[in-house]
Amino acid sequence: MANTFMGYARENGAVGVRNWIAVISIMDNCNPVTRAICHAVDGTIAVTTLFVRGQYGRDLEIAFNTLAGMGRNPNIAGVLLIGLEEQTTEEVARRIRPSGKPIESINLQPHGTINAVAEGTRRAMKLVVRASYARRKPCPTSALLVGVECGGSDTTSGLTCNPVIGQMADRLVDDGGSVIISETSEFLGAEHLFAARAVDETVKKAFVDAVLRLEREAMERGMDIRGTNPTADNMRGGLTTIEEKALGAMAKAGTRPLSGVLTYGEAPSRKGLHFMDAPAPAVENLAALASAGCQLIFFGTGVGNPIGNMVSPTVKVSGNVNTLRTMSDNIDFDASEILEKGVKVAVVGNRLYDYAIEVASGTRTSSEVLDVRETAISRFAPTI
Amino acid sequence: MPRAIVLNRADNVATLIDTGRAGDGCVLQGEASGEVKLRQDVPFGHKLCIRSACAGAEVLKYGQVIGKATRALEVGEHVHAHNVESARGRGDQIKR
Repeated sequence: MANTFMGYARENGAVGVRNWIAVISIMDNCNPVTRAICHAVDGTIAVTTLFVRGQYGRDLEIAFNTLAGMGRNPNIAGVLLIGLEEQTTEEVARRIRPSGKPIESINLQPHGTINAVAEGTRRAMKLVVRASYARRKPCPTSALLVGVECGGSDTTSGLTCNPVIGQMADRLVDDGGSVIISETSEFLGAEHLFAARAVDETVKKAFVDAVLRLEREAMERGMDIRGTNPTADNMRGGLTTIEEKALGAMAKAGTRPLSGVLTYGEAPSRKGLHFMDAPAPAVENLAALASAGCQLIFFGTGVGNPIGNMVSPTVKVSGNVNTLRTMSDNIDFDASEILEKGVKVAVVGNRLYDYAIEVASGTRTSSEVLDVRETAISRFAPTI
Repeated sequence: MPRAIVLNRADNVATLIDTGRAGDGCVLQGEASGEVKLRQDVPFGHKLCIRSACAGAEVLKYGQVIGKATRALEVGEHVHAHNVESARGRGDQIKR
């Protein structure tokens, strides 16, 4: 029998692990209204953003697509868009509409702050009540798309949390589910090993090109990426070079074949393991994973990085005994018995798979409960 | 005694999973066994040299190259950014 979890089956066939109403800012000047509505209405999450106004070309497309992707995420039962004016709001609305979920929008022009908050609160309340009629029911784990991420890495990451996440990822792919690994810079020095797992030459080339493009850009700018990646805290944690970090980071992707390569925030069109070409810093990378439709994200950490995503519950996994002692508030899953007791990665990884089913069925993560969540969408060009 | 893990037989470094003090006998686990005397204090999670290497030699962990030694490495020595250099993303080394 197929493995199942208790999820929210959506009309379009997707399955959510949460049942939130997303209040989404179309641009930075809308954030205060978005936050005010979310403070007033239980069951909502605030998806704020910076910039958008003044962005153009590819960057503006990425901004609209990522905001809309988070709105389309199956964890979201309905959407309230908070915009400045109707034309840009419609750019995001039309990208969410194919999901079939209810979408409401409020524009600050010409209503002003107080009226926008009042009307937005009223509409958000109605969306929440309507969403609350949904009930969890058994859904196959093949409906899950999970992101795998690491941050605040150290040398324990490559030995404990990342391979444990990799074991969970393998189990999920074997169930018929999907996994996305990202963080392009964190393949420098390990790309030959990952490229060898590509299902065909096209996928292989797309992956290798993404890694080499990033390295070439650093070279062209005359930059030494050391200090930026690995970061100062990575290095204090014992990681010496990006190659060492990459070899440990790649373990999160398990061992299954690489099925496809995605652009920033892009949803996979087939099942299996995917690579997404996106910057490594957690907040902007998590936003891209949530936009791609990941219902859950598994985040390995060594020296500790507490941040989670608004839309996609983010499970923090650590195998560093010191961090588990000092930052236990921020860690959901303890993988320290690998180094402390010699327990095999596969055993702990199977336990993480079981925990994944729990979180998918409603068990809450630390970053949700403490609201340690943030949104940022990558920018690749200046605004004008 | 502090413990250190060797991930591949080819590796010339091991990763400490305890805090190491100069003079401690460090017990190797994983793909190698034996004991290595630490030449310096080595923090939790940092690496020590388990096979001497000359300047310019490849530093191996996971059986893969993680960088090059910038000077000779002695067995028991702390191995980190002060004596190993990355070969990737080094735009600073491009002559213009």
